[in-house]
Amino acid sequence: MTTTRRPRLNIGAVRSSFAPWTDPALEPLVRFEGVTKRFGAETAVNDVSLSIYESEFFALLGPSGCGKTTLMRLLAGFETPDAGRITLAGQDLAGMPPHQRPVNMMFQSYALFPHLSVEQNIAFGLKQQGMPKGQIADRVVEMLELVRLGGLARRKPHQLSGGQRQRVALARAIAPNPKMLLLDEPLAALDKKLREETQFELIALQQRLGMTFLIVTHDQEEAMVTADRIAVMREGQIVQIGRPAEVYETPNSRYVADFIGDVNLFEGAVTAADGKVVKMATADCPAGFEALEDDAVSVGSTAWLGVRPEKIQLHLDPPKEGPNRLAGKVADYGYLGDWTTYVVELESGRTVRAARANASRLVARPIACDDAVWLTFAPDAAVVLTR
Amino acid sequence: MSARPRSGLAAVAPFLWLGVFFLFPFFLVAKLSLSDTALAMPPYAPRVDWSAGFEGVRAFFAALDFETYARLTSDSLYIAAYLSSLKFAAVATSLLLIIGYPIAYGMSRFPPAQRQALLMAVILPFWTSFLIRVYAWIAVLKPQGLLNAALAQVGLGPLNILNTDTAVYIGLVYAYLPFMVLPLYAVLEKQDQSQLEAAADLGCTPSQAFWRVTFPLSLPGVAAGALLCFIPMVGEFVIPDLLGGSGTLMLGKTIWTEFFSNRDWPAASAVAIVLLATLVIPILLYQRQQQKMIEAAQ
Amino acid sequence: MSVWRKRLSAAALGVTALVLAACGKGGAETLHIYNWSDYIDPAILTDFTKETGIKVVYDTFDSNEVLETKVLQGNTGYDLVVPSNHNVPRYIAAGAIQPLDKTKLTGLANLWPDIMAYMEPFDPGAKYAVPYMWGTIGIGYNKDAIAKRLPGVAIDSWDIVFKPENLAKLKDCGVYWLDASEDMYAVALNYLGKNPNSTDLSDYQAATDMFLKARPYVRKFHSSESIEALANGDICVAIGYSGDMLQAKSRAVEAGDKVHLDYVVPKEGSQVWFDVFAIPKDAPNAAAAYKFLDYMLRPEVIARASTFTEYANANKAATALVDPAVRDNPNVYPTSDQLLTLFVTAAKEQPLLRDVNRQWTRVQTGQ
Repeated sequence: MTTTRRPRLNIGAVRSSFAPWTDPALEPLVRFEGVTKRFGAETAVNDVSLSIYESEFFALLGPSGCGKTTLMRLLAGFETPDAGRITLAGQDLAGMPPHQRPVNMMFQSYALFPHLSVEQNIAFGLKQQGMPKGQIADRVVEMLELVRLGGLARRKPHQLSGGQRQRVALARAIAPNPKMLLLDEPLAALDKKLREETQFELIALQQRLGMTFLIVTHDQEEAMVTADRIAVMREGQIVQIGRPAEVYETPNSRYVADFIGDVNLFEGAVTAADGKVVKMATADCPAGFEALEDDAVSVGSTAWLGVRPEKIQLHLDPPKEGPNRLAGKVADYGYLGDWTTYVVELESGRTVRAARANASRLVARPIACDDAVWLTFAPDAAVVLTR
Repeated sequence: MSARPRSGLAAVAPFLWLGVFFLFPFFLVAKLSLSDTALAMPPYAPRVDWSAGFEGVRAFFAALDFETYARLTSDSLYIAAYLSSLKFAAVATSLLLIIGYPIAYGMSRFPPAQRQALLMAVILPFWTSFLIRVYAWIAVLKPQGLLNAALAQVGLGPLNILNTDTAVYIGLVYAYLPFMVLPLYAVLEKQDQSQLEAAADLGCTPSQAFWRVTFPLSLPGVAAGALLCFIPMVGEFVIPDLLGGSGTLMLGKTIWTEFFSNRDWPAASAVAIVLLATLVIPILLYQRQQQKMIEAAQ
Repeated sequence: MSVWRKRLSAAALGVTALVLAACGKGGAETLHIYNWSDYIDPAILTDFTKETGIKVVYDTFDSNEVLETKVLQGNTGYDLVVPSNHNVPRYIAAGAIQPLDKTKLTGLANLWPDIMAYMEPFDPGAKYAVPYMWGTIGIGYNKDAIAKRLPGVAIDSWDIVFKPENLAKLKDCGVYWLDASEDMYAVALNYLGKNPNSTDLSDYQAATDMFLKARPYVRKFHSSESIEALANGDICVAIGYSGDMLQAKSRAVEAGDKVHLDYVVPKEGSQVWFDVFAIPKDAPNAAAAYKFLDYMLRPEVIARASTFTEYANANKAATALVDPAVRDNPNVYPTSDQLLTLFVTAAKEQPLLRDVNRQWTRVQTGQ
């Protein structure tokens, strides 16, 4: 049985009207300019340029070892760039030690101080700022309410559950009111259910505070749910930046298409491209593939067609001949409750995934293994990838 | 994890150990301290006359008394020796902390591979006889010794250190340093580096991070190291005897004098019992500290 | 009472075993001897084994206190031990040593009656002990260093080491005193014109007062370290046992003759001490101990021993056989005039001993 990740789109987070990056006159809060960081022979961050705007919820997404955490640590000041520069609110951060930077970080391990109580942990940064005692107490109470830990002020970290510790770490990082909050895999240690809940809490919190959040995660779902924009990283470089929907629907490479969500990739030669429609020849469909694509693609080159499983229709009776039509038999399927994913083996031997919403509880004609099926998809469901 | 009920030998072994190696000798010494000296083999009385049966045992207990303890309190020399021993142990413990902490801290900041080598270096002196190492200090500190030869090279000295309290402190610090460094290293090495980063992130300079995070977190190690050194140092004999001067007054020496010079086994035993009683508090503290560390590690 | 060797263990609880088994016959008889360290010519032991076939296990100690504590505890496994004279009465009273069967000791007639007279108070009728070596307590000193600091002062009196005005001038070059309360009080009482065997505590208090005045100038109280310290020039004067001080002198010569030492028995008189052989009550092999004792009573054997240790023995017949360098040294074999000033100390009752030791501790610690 195979399963597939179910991308959830546009749940609450995306404020379509919020797009400061589209305003060329606006000064970004943080600017990475050609930043490179090497560890020995390894280049962890390779010539990265990136702008993050005030009040933005920005996600750095990529597999482990892609350099996303290093990029965040460069901003926090725990690492020093080998080349390039980082500015925060127009100020060059070069040479500024971590304790002077107006950003706070929530660590993946939480890094709570075990000898201090919850309230002392939260007050830690405030004390460093030299805030008067009375104000500290008020701020701590405010923070405890914010993260709903009111009754646990005097507990020590080892007396808390994982979720409670996570919220203490969050409160501790927010308390000093930083210009920017850095979250390093903030939900990785939580179980699935709690993780999903917390994602929405993070969004609510960010919107309420209006604070700029930078989150580092390897979980594409987490990034898509929470972030205004996602930067997908690979081997020290950013391969695509965009809103979650943009990155999902119009990935700029096979890597991004494959990393975010599930995708079926078909290789083929471009036979026609007029700036609107691209046609490709393929052994799997005599009529070839057709896709809407306004980017320039040169005829005769090799390209890949990317089609998400949920955008493929599954037929038990042969549809009429035409482009984007595939024939095969069911090799495997996975019932997920809301969706069923089918793995269809084409005559050529390659497999294609198709997802079908279980719209009705009773299916008139259940699909079983080895059933002959046909797959079709619309030209606007496919994306042409040249790299 | 809850404790499993233990049975059989496993349940009895600790008590057996305690009984054979602590309680039994303790009662022997306690009994001795209630006896009187005598010209006999061995040189104390009373001894149980088993042939007289119950009457013999009764006579034995009737002859025990606290006279020796009364003498301890009436002679200021003993009190002076106690206070002096406590002072030596306390000052040496402070010096050990001041010297041992930076060493343990430095070690814990090396990459793990090199830490092993450094740890080895700390333990290495144990491979040589303790006595030989203390004798080596005599060779260094004596008037015509290595230290004064070196000082003479740069036109200084000579210093008369051997047979002074200074020499005792040098010896104590040298001999007990590993016992201070190892527990400190154990706690410092375990420290999560991200806690230091968190402290820096929240506005601490490196030294503020040390005092607000590293140091408080290392307190169990400080307590363990301090007690581990303090307790045996109070009763230390060899170092004050070899490196100290005649004026170096310590309990270990007092016990030796009572036992050997005065052939007064009861007095030696009484001093030892009082020494143990004085040390019970720090020993219990140490036990509690160990317990806490074990719990914290779980 | 000798301690002349480098002491390697503080309390001398670590005893070095020297097993001499030159001819290892199967199931050979074994003799266990417990003696002061470096206190016998090893060749004597190998010769004894060659002659009798008895294997000798030779262990050493470095203080009477250690020896007595062990022997009074019992079950030491030793056949022959070597306590000093003033401890012997306690061994006898405690029943720790056995009376000698004199029929097994053919050489007793060789002993020196004048010297044996000193032993009488300790072992009346010589029932328990056979003397091994004897000597005096005196002053070992660095000739050049003393001459520089006390020009024109004759070094022949206890004044040198007891008078604060003299000690003040010697403080910088180093003064050691013996750490042996009974010996120190004996010579001090004699020096103060009192009975060295006094049982009056006030006499001891007077000696303590004198000690305390001199104490600030004393670098250390130790019974054996003075040998090395004198020999390599770390200190310039010490109260010590004759053999030790003479040993320091020969070591200094061996070490290049840069330090010139000498030993003197002060004119006020000094204490004579004896180290004696005794057989513990529970000796596993008393028969072998008798054979060894008789062997050591042979003049040629004990003369060899004296030549090696630089101590006098109590064997009249042996004197002529001792190396002249030792025999003719009045600091080893005192002249008849000197003999008149020497005295022995008696064993003290336990309460007096305890009080004296307590006073001595006060002297040492300056409390």
